[in-house]
Amino acid sequence: MSHILLEGIVKSYGSARILNNCTLSVAKGEVMTLLGPSGCGKTTLLRTLAGFVTPEQGQIVVGGTEISHLAPNRRSVGYVFQNYALFPHLTVADNVAYGLKVRRRPASEITERVGHALELVALEGLGGRYPAQLSGGQQQRVAIARVLVLEPEVLLLDEPFNALDAKLRLTMQVELRKLIDRVGITSIFVTHDQSEAMMLSDKVAVMRAGQIEQVATPLDIYDKPVNDYVAGFIGRANVLAVDVRGGIVVPAPQVMTTRGDGPARLIVRPENLAFSDAQTAWPGKVFFASAQGPTIEYEIDTGQMQPLRLVVQRKAGQYPLPNGTAVHVGVVDPAGCIVIGSAAGV
Amino acid sequence: MSDYAAHRQSGLPVFVRRVLHGGGFWPALPAIVFLVIFLVLPMVTLLAFGFVTIERGRIVGETLTLQHLQSALQDTLIWRLTWRSFYVAVISTVLSLILAYPVAYLFSQTKGIWRMLILVAVISPLLTSALVRAYAWLVILGGRRGLLNQTLLNLGLIDQPLRLLNTDWAVIIGMTQIHLPFMFLPLLAVLSGRDRRLEEASRNLGAGQVRTFFSVVVPMSIPAIFAGLALVFAVSYTNFIVPQLLGGGSYATLAVQVYEQTVVVLDWTRGAVLATILLSSCFVFVYLIVAAGSRFSRWTERTS
Repeated sequence: MSHILLEGIVKSYGSARILNNCTLSVAKGEVMTLLGPSGCGKTTLLRTLAGFVTPEQGQIVVGGTEISHLAPNRRSVGYVFQNYALFPHLTVADNVAYGLKVRRRPASEITERVGHALELVALEGLGGRYPAQLSGGQQQRVAIARVLVLEPEVLLLDEPFNALDAKLRLTMQVELRKLIDRVGITSIFVTHDQSEAMMLSDKVAVMRAGQIEQVATPLDIYDKPVNDYVAGFIGRANVLAVDVRGGIVVPAPQVMTTRGDGPARLIVRPENLAFSDAQTAWPGKVFFASAQGPTIEYEIDTGQMQPLRLVVQRKAGQYPLPNGTAVHVGVVDPAGCIVIGSAAGV
Repeated sequence: MSDYAAHRQSGLPVFVRRVLHGGGFWPALPAIVFLVIFLVLPMVTLLAFGFVTIERGRIVGETLTLQHLQSALQDTLIWRLTWRSFYVAVISTVLSLILAYPVAYLFSQTKGIWRMLILVAVISPLLTSALVRAYAWLVILGGRRGLLNQTLLNLGLIDQPLRLLNTDWAVIIGMTQIHLPFMFLPLLAVLSGRDRRLEEASRNLGAGQVRTFFSVVVPMSIPAIFAGLALVFAVSYTNFIVPQLLGGGSYATLAVQVYEQTVVVLDWTRGAVLATILLSSCFVFVYLIVAAGSRFSRWTERTS
């Protein structure tokens, strides 16, 4: 049973349609990521759930109750802002206590719960500081403690790692995922970083231009993207124009498909391509090569619009092929390829 | 060695270069010279008159004396005038805050043409001189035939014309209106530039709109509130046009007394002594307001 249900959400600003019939369901305890480029409406969708944005159509159900018409302060939805939006005039402890004070809890209970919340995010002892005296990572933890102390049904996080530097980001991602598992709260993240989505989430919803393109587990999205956009957004992908003739893809005859004859597109991950001797594969020239240590990445010019990307394992002492070397490229695992319709008729 | 490096290494000793650079002093020099000649020196001269004895336009005696200041401080009239200056300024300053804050908040919530209209409406009093505005209040508040009394009588709300002119209230009303922009402008700058996400965060944590306003919006604007309070207090406390015109002939504040002693009575010594008292007490009050403001907004200093 879904814990959060967004159904047919529509939102426009003037003539621009920001959310176009978005439907999303999140199971209890699940961590969902809304992934998409900036401007795709992912933050607006999250703000709709928190009540900061009123959609024109659609309904929002959390834990079986429809909350579409509730004011933001009546929703049991914790929101962690992109830059944390900590109250600069309150100490860390007062920031965390804010929601409890609004709810008029007794002072002793507030002290105890604030203590627990700060302990949960490993900030005990920093309660007396002001937000400006904390590092970015600490501020993020205060923002999380501030909403978790209220024990909301749902945790929403808007690009929570954006304000952190790359090194800290990785540690905080792992820490946050562990924390969410410990609390067991249903969470929705917003991010434009695909590796963050892979690392944090049970499920990923890929968005484009106000629409949800695909919802699946990160690996399913990687292995079975529904279209070239999703394929390109999670990981890297080669999208090749091919022909289907009698269930066989030309020029990669190992790949079978149930599609009818005609032009189609083949999605192949770079690691699912290799150099081959067979004359049936794509002929081309090495256009660019870079050795990464464990792997070598090639760009092969096959005369198509985009060069073919190819990743091969590297053995010790091995050097990349020089640019201009004539090669043939073939598919390694036909099962890992996806055939979709051509750009015109998906 | 490149030309660039050669250029950098050649030239004047460090000390001379530092003086030439001046830490940003040189561009401010014209203003500083102007203020010293036309503000600081006349003021020092004026205040100094309070510590010498002047007879028939000549300084009598060789030494400075505290005698005039002492006699002024022992005069109960001076204390009464100071007290009136003070409470009129305080009431007018508080009224300004109460009136300006909602308008500044409204301004921050509106967009486009409405914003423009509010801004013009609030700033436009600054375009006419305080003297003209004080006269306008004379017309509005004035006796039986004044605009206000006439209207109230016609509406049947009152039987007898209100006696407003020549009271504290006339002075307070006039002063508040004239000084409102000084309160409005700092509030407007802070309120319209504020971070709205803090209010969203407050709503998200369960606070209603009223609670959010008092727990987030108002505390965040405390620096602006106190800047406005200090400004309006200073101009109200030292204003003499409004008390003189709207308070009438027998009404005086400390500032009015300074004017009368200097211009009417031509007792420059006493005028200078009263100016000294007015100026220094004003400094003390403004300092107290500013100190209170920074006490309430200590969080702004806590960085790093």
